[in-house]
Amino acid sequence: MSKAEQIIAGLGGADNIVELEPCITRLRTEVRDGSKVNEAALKAAGAHGVMKVGNNVQVVVGPEADTIANDIEDLM
Amino acid sequence: MDISISSPLTGRAIGLAEVPDPVFAGSMVGPGAAVDPERAPQVAVAPIAGRLVKLKPHAFVVQSEDGRGVLVHLGIDTVNLEGVGFELVAAEGDRLRAGQPIVTWNPADVQARGLSPVSPVIALDAETAAIEAIVAGAVAAGDELFHWR
Repeated sequence: MSKAEQIIAGLGGADNIVELEPCITRLRTEVRDGSKVNEAALKAAGAHGVMKVGNNVQVVVGPEADTIANDIEDLM
Repeated sequence: MDISISSPLTGRAIGLAEVPDPVFAGSMVGPGAAVDPERAPQVAVAPIAGRLVKLKPHAFVVQSEDGRGVLVHLGIDTVNLEGVGFELVAAEGDRLRAGQPIVTWNPADVQARGLSPVSPVIALDAETAAIEAIVAGAVAAGDELFHWR
């Protein structure tokens, strides 16, 4: 799986992603169901860290956040 | 090669741990320092010489010849301002000297909108031990902020 595919899976699948926006070092996302988010899988995909508050999840991926967000959008 | 990272802003240099954001405070994207900027209009300048590889209104990355990237993030959660109050004076892809102007902004306006203007300066993906001589206290834009071995 590509990094983008792994991140989608870690966020509980494309259907679980309501919104995804890149900031300079992180993907800011809103998911339907926060309990479907798999932090270990996101870290395995290369995330430096995951900040989760309810259904708002920030995946810290470093400065390639833009590129990854584009790859994810292409897949969704 | 040892590179000197200069302060992109005028204000007070503080430790990253004091930054009100867990990602930066936890050095998740790399170690570094932060500047609590003077609450007056000012221009954020390049912390090192190199290419401006990323430029957003509220943040930018300058990459040195040897591939090391320094991220400057102007304030916390400032992506939410959608560029309002930030004026770009450089363009993505530009080759810059250290100290060259990149973005003008007013930290007082950011604070007035309820956000912290504290600005992390990050040695992207560096080892914590590679960063030394971190300055604390009053700094002017262009003054040395830390060394990256």
